[in-house]
Amino acid sequence: MTDTALVSDAPPPAARPLVRLRQLDLFGAVVTLATLAGAVVWAFPLYWGLVTTFKPETEIVQPGVHLWPQNFTFENYAHVLMQTKIGLWYVNSLVTSGAVTVIVVVMAAAAGYAISQLEFPGRRVFWAMILASFMVPIPALIVNHFVLMSQFGWINTLQGVVAPQLIAPVTVIIYKQFFDSVPKDFREAAVMDGANDFQLLFRIYLPMNWGITTALAIITFIGAWNLFLWPFLAVSSEEKLNVAVGITQVHDAFGVQYGRDLAVAMLAALPVAIVYLIFQRRVTQAIMLSAGIKG
Amino acid sequence: MSAIPGNKGGAAAPHVELRRVTKRYGVVTAINDLTLTVEKGSFTALLGPSGCGKSTLLRMIAGLERISAGQCFLDGVDVTDVAPAKRRIAMVFQSYALYPHMTTRQNIAFSLSLAGASRKEQDERTHEVARILQLEDYLDRRPAELSGGQRQRVAIGRALVRHPEVFLFDEPLSNLDAKLRVQMRLELAKLHATLHATMIYVTHDQTEAMTLADKIVVLDRGRVAQVGSPLELYNRPANKFVAAFIGSPSMNFLPVGLTAVEGGIATVALPGGRTARVRVGGAPAKAVATAELGVRPEHLSLVVADDANAALRGEVAIVEHLGNLTLLYVDTPAGQVIVEGPGNVSVRSGDTVGLSLREANARLFGADGASL
Repeated sequence: MTDTALVSDAPPPAARPLVRLRQLDLFGAVVTLATLAGAVVWAFPLYWGLVTTFKPETEIVQPGVHLWPQNFTFENYAHVLMQTKIGLWYVNSLVTSGAVTVIVVVMAAAAGYAISQLEFPGRRVFWAMILASFMVPIPALIVNHFVLMSQFGWINTLQGVVAPQLIAPVTVIIYKQFFDSVPKDFREAAVMDGANDFQLLFRIYLPMNWGITTALAIITFIGAWNLFLWPFLAVSSEEKLNVAVGITQVHDAFGVQYGRDLAVAMLAALPVAIVYLIFQRRVTQAIMLSAGIKG
Repeated sequence: MSAIPGNKGGAAAPHVELRRVTKRYGVVTAINDLTLTVEKGSFTALLGPSGCGKSTLLRMIAGLERISAGQCFLDGVDVTDVAPAKRRIAMVFQSYALYPHMTTRQNIAFSLSLAGASRKEQDERTHEVARILQLEDYLDRRPAELSGGQRQRVAIGRALVRHPEVFLFDEPLSNLDAKLRVQMRLELAKLHATLHATMIYVTHDQTEAMTLADKIVVLDRGRVAQVGSPLELYNRPANKFVAAFIGSPSMNFLPVGLTAVEGGIATVALPGGRTARVRVGGAPAKAVATAELGVRPEHLSLVVADDANAALRGEVAIVEHLGNLTLLYVDTPAGQVIVEGPGNVSVRSGDTVGLSLREANARLFGADGASL
């Protein structure tokens, strides 16, 4: 081998991947910065709202942007907690949202199971009706709901808040699709073991789809917690309000008090955020577990 | 066992009996007027190609498939309309169907818990089954954490814990690799020897059927093609379908002319000019002018091309060395035939060879496929 062969102008073999890596790094940095900017834009109103709750009202209405309170105070929270019925509204929200979640999940799972697994006269018609009801926006039925609840004598009651929210065709559709995907061997094995349909649903089908049940329960709970229009129409008594409607009562009673309004909004959102953060991990685990077993 | 309609003979009482059953799916008939009896304590294999109706038949016995016509008896009791769980039958599914959210212990005890058995009884019976199947160390694992063989054992355990009268197996080994399949086959044979329970086993794998079963029911398009012991089916196939299905490599079929039938021996003219003498059943063969001669690969021997004993001559197309034996694909005037030779055969592709025929083992089939 000569010196000429040993020396070469060509870049060493590792150089090319390195250049590519640098290019990738640059691209990655740009993407990271862009997403970071997006996150800041998204999170800033939340930050601004939170910070405002710790400012006195006089400081809030002052011109200029102050990212941190000049006079830090809990007065807004103290006022909301002491002078309003937010505790009762929490309980109302908890009761109605909890009831809606439990009933919707159980009812939708049962309906989804029936349509997916059972043979009965009118099954196709039943399924078509559920699909059709999915296409009707719920607010379009709000007058009918009001009249119906009024005839039941359920206006200004918690059951009156709950009942119209039990129409959940999407949940039935999702359950039906998931139950369709369960291999029929599981059903037949359980039938051979002596399971009836209730046992099949509650001991085989629901546990096998625990991930989707958890996800649907969370979505339903959050939806019920945040629901405004129907509870706003169905309830006028301050004792029966939920948190979402209660916020407007704070506004009405005290005029435009930004600090107090935002403090009650933060308190209203807090339980949902906590619930979601807790159950989000369980949803992920459940989905991973299902995927692992089915794989 | 018998596939003869209306058969009530035999000393042993039938444990499971299907009487003239038919299964239709719309216009498609999966099982057609089939009668079958299975004796108590026997290991019976339902064997056939995909779509022959063997799984449908098993599911009809289990009660998972409604019978379109006919009756199913268990211990002499008509169970045609009895719910699956009340038939005292357990089934092991091809996919095992282990509940993924339950541990091995819960899977095995599930039927007991549904039946309302006490926790103590559930524990006792689960441990008894786990001991038999060597699953004691895996009782708290979920199916995803078990190997294929362990899952298979849990599936058997789930059946075993119910103390059923009849075990049904629907291709239970088809998801296992070759080595594990052999191991599980032995375990199933041991289990049958221990329990003496009636077992009905569906498979398309003739090796499984031949090695495990006392009796094999060969099914063809929803009908029973033949019932018999493994060796009966291998040595005396009732028709061309069974002859072709049983045995690997498959039996060779050579078109022959029937020249004479005398004293139960038929003389046939082979393609290429030679003749052979084959044992036949008798009278029916006389009326047949042409037939097919069935010869298994191991009943053909390689000889030199101009050997006086060569029934056929041909050119070797492919040679497959399998170590202990050699498979040769030989192009003859009768078409390509497979010959099984010893492992040390030195013949190569392109060589011309003679094939001698062991006439005592050859079978003759008529135009309708029935054995003559």
